[in-house]
Amino acid sequence: MAFTQAVKMSLLCGRFKKYSYQMWSSVMSQRNYRTVLCGRRRYPSPKICQKSRAMHATQPLMITKLLTVDEIFARKPLQDYLKKIETEYSDSLKVINSTEGQQDSNEEFRIKRTRVSVLDPLIEYIKELKIKEQEFAETETLLKDDDPDMCQLAVIEREACQKAIQDIRQKILSQLIPEEESDMSDLVLEVTAGIGGQEAMLFTAEVFDMYQRFAAHQGWAFDILEYMKSELGGLRHASASISGNESYKRMKFEAGVHRVQRVPKTEKQGRMHTSTMTVVVLPQPTEITFTINSKDLRIETKRASGAGGQHVNTTDSAVRIVHLPTGVVSECQQERSQLKNKEKAMKMLRAKLYNIRLEEETCKRYTERKVQIGTKGRSEKIRTYNFPQDRITDHRIGKTVHEVREFLLGEELLEEMNTALREFSNQETLMDILGENY
Amino acid sequence: MWIRLRRSLNGFYNRVDPLIVRCIGHKRLYTFHSPGVAECIPAIPTDYRLTVQECVTLWTRHFQLRGVSEPRLSSQYIIAHLLGVKTLESLGQDRLAEFLTHKQMEQTWKLCTRRLTRMPVQYVIEEWDFRDLTLKMSPPVFIPRPETEELVGLMLADLQVKQGTGVSEEANLRCLEVGCGTGAISLSLLNSLPQLRAIALDKNKDAVELTVENAHSLGLQDRLEVHHMDVIRDADMIVRMCSPVSVLVSNPPYLFSEDMASLDPEVHKFEDHDALDGGVDGMQVIRHILTLAPQLLSNNGRVYLEVDPRHPPFIQLWAEGGERGLRYVHTHHDFTGRPRFCVLENDNATYIKTRTSI
Repeated sequence: MAFTQAVKMSLLCGRFKKYSYQMWSSVMSQRNYRTVLCGRRRYPSPKICQKSRAMHATQPLMITKLLTVDEIFARKPLQDYLKKIETEYSDSLKVINSTEGQQDSNEEFRIKRTRVSVLDPLIEYIKELKIKEQEFAETETLLKDDDPDMCQLAVIEREACQKAIQDIRQKILSQLIPEEESDMSDLVLEVTAGIGGQEAMLFTAEVFDMYQRFAAHQGWAFDILEYMKSELGGLRHASASISGNESYKRMKFEAGVHRVQRVPKTEKQGRMHTSTMTVVVLPQPTEITFTINSKDLRIETKRASGAGGQHVNTTDSAVRIVHLPTGVVSECQQERSQLKNKEKAMKMLRAKLYNIRLEEETCKRYTERKVQIGTKGRSEKIRTYNFPQDRITDHRIGKTVHEVREFLLGEELLEEMNTALREFSNQETLMDILGENY
Repeated sequence: MWIRLRRSLNGFYNRVDPLIVRCIGHKRLYTFHSPGVAECIPAIPTDYRLTVQECVTLWTRHFQLRGVSEPRLSSQYIIAHLLGVKTLESLGQDRLAEFLTHKQMEQTWKLCTRRLTRMPVQYVIEEWDFRDLTLKMSPPVFIPRPETEELVGLMLADLQVKQGTGVSEEANLRCLEVGCGTGAISLSLLNSLPQLRAIALDKNKDAVELTVENAHSLGLQDRLEVHHMDVIRDADMIVRMCSPVSVLVSNPPYLFSEDMASLDPEVHKFEDHDALDGGVDGMQVIRHILTLAPQLLSNNGRVYLEVDPRHPPFIQLWAEGGERGLRYVHTHHDFTGRPRFCVLENDNATYIKTRTSI
C-alpha cells in the first residue's frame, strides 16, 4: 500500500525515484496519453505535468465559429429569408385591405392582421437598409470625382453610411430572433453538490459565492431561499431568487454540470480529484402567466400537529409545501416568520412547476438544434474548471478562459464567457430560422 | 472514567456517554450526572474559545439533556441573535467557524441559562418577527402566534378589495383592536395601509407600554392610540371614546379553562393567563366583544376574530339568534385547515334598532 502511494506521489511530483521498474514501465508505456492508469486511479501523465500550460484541445460539440453581422448578411439564406418575409408581408397586406368589409374568414383575417403588425418594424428596417445601401453605392460614384473636397466628403459619407448599415443589420437580426416567453422573467437558481463528497460541496459553495457576486455586479437582487451546509464549510444544496434586468436571459447559460479538477483541501496526499456540481436555473413566472390552484397544495408545518393557536408557542416556523398532482416539494426555514417562509416556499414551488412545464415545451420545439444551449436541462456537462492548469473551458462553444481565481470572483471574466455563450446561442437560433446547416 | 477533554468539543461529544462521567479539561472540570438529575450548567470555558458552530452544538446537547423543547432551534436562534442576525442560516460559512469572544460567550451563557428555565426563546432574546415587522417581546405579554399573521392577511385582502370598489368612507379608515398585547395586529395593519388609523386596547399595563414602545421603534406612533382599558369593565367608556370604527379586530383569550393546566411550561409559566383563559367555554371575552361591536362599528363595518376551532358554530348560532346587530359572514380556515377566523358584519337595521333602544 505504501509503495503504491509512493508511486502516485512520484507521478504527480515528477520525481521518479521511489518505484520499481515494473510499475515505471507500466506508466511509461502509457506515456503517449494525457492521463495514465496507475492502480485504479487515473492521473495526468508525467510528461504533461512537466510542461506548464500544456496544449489542450477540447473537442467542442459543434465546429462553428461566431460569424460577424456582415458575414451573415453576405450569405444567401438570409437574403432569401428576407425576401420571403417581404412577400409574405405584401400578401397579407393585400388580403387585409381587400377583405375589409368581409367577415367570412374571421380567424384567418385576424391571423394575417397580427402577422402584419408583427412584421411591420422588420419591414421598416429592411426598407431603411435598402435606402442606405443605395446611398453607399452613390458615394462610390462620388469618390471617382476629381474634386478633392468632394472626395473627402464622399469618404466621410461613406463611413457614416457603413456604420448606419451595420446598425440596421444588427437591428434586423435581433428582430428575427424571437423573444422567448421566459426571457423577461426573474429566476430561481439552485446549486447542488454532485460527485466528489466534501470536495464537491466545497466547490459548490465557491460557485454559489461566484453567482452572488455576479448578481451584485449586474445590479440584480439576490435573495437566498435555502442554504444547506455541510460539516467542513461546504454547501450541499442552496437556492436563491435572482431578480433584475435580463437576469434569466443571462443566467440560463449557467445551467448544467460544472466540473472541477484540482487538489482538494481535504486531500492529504496531494492527488488531483475531479468533482462535479449541478446548477439549475428555473424561470420564475408572474402571477398571470402561471397559476397554481391552492386545492392542489398540501402545506405542512409544525403547528399542524397538536392544538395550535394560543395553546402552543413554537419557534419552529419551517414550512413544507407539496404539490399533490405532480409530487413536487419545496420547503423553507430561512425566516423566523412562518408567513415569510410560506411565501418563499411558494416562490420556489412555482418556479419548479413552471420549469417542468417549460422543459416539456422546449423539448418539443428544439430537438432539431445541434447544440441546445440552455435547453438541454440538468444533465449537460457544460464547463470544466481546471485549477492546476489555471483554465476554464466551456464545452458547448469550446471557449477557454484563464485565471480561475479571477473567474470565481464572478465579474468581468464570467461576463465575457456569458456574452460569448449568448452570441453563439443567438446565431444558432438564427441559423435554425433560416433553415441552415452549418 | 477519566477522559481527557480535547480542544475540539465535537470530538468530546462523539465519545462521551452522557451518563456519569468525569472529564478533565486543561484546567476545567465538567461534570454530567445521569439523566433526570442534570442540575448543573456547563461552566464557561476560560482557557480556550469555542467557535460559533461548537457553541451551538454544545448548547443543543445541553438543552436535550435537560428536556427543553426544540433544543437545536433554541440554541440557533439565541446565538444568531447575539451575532446580530435573525437566523444562523444567513451567516456565511466563514463566520460560523469564527471564534466567539469571551464577552459573547458570557452573553450566550446568560441567555441560554434563561432558556433552561423553559422561558420561551422570544422572551429570552426579547424580540420576534411578525409578518414584515420585528417586534419587541417581554414577559408576561402574550407572544403573537403564526395563525394571527394569517388573520392580518385576511383583513388586508378584504380592506384592499373594499378600497378598490371606492367606498368613500374608507378615506378615513379606523380600526380598533381589543387585547393588543405586543401590538402585532395593529402595527402590521398600519404598516401595510398608510391611510389607516388604529386604536389599541389592553387591560394589562405591561402590554400597553410594550405596544407604545413597539410603535415608536417602527415609527408608527402618529397613527396609533393605545389605551389601558378592559373591554368587560370599561365598555361604556370604550364606546364613547372609540366609535365609530370601520374594523374591529381581536385575538381574544379563547382557551377553555380546563385546558389551561395542560399547557406547555413555556406558555404556562411565562405568558399572562388573562391573555389565554377565556372562561369555561372559552367565549367569555368573545361574547363581550360581539355585544359591543354593533355600537362601535360604522355602517357595514366588520369584526374579525381569531378563535378556538370549536367556537365558529356557536358564534354563528349566536349571531343568527336574532337582533344581535351582527350578521355572520364567513369562517376562514388557517393553514393547518382548522376553522380559526370568524368574520361578522354590522347589520344596519338591527344596529339602528339597538341604538334607539338604549
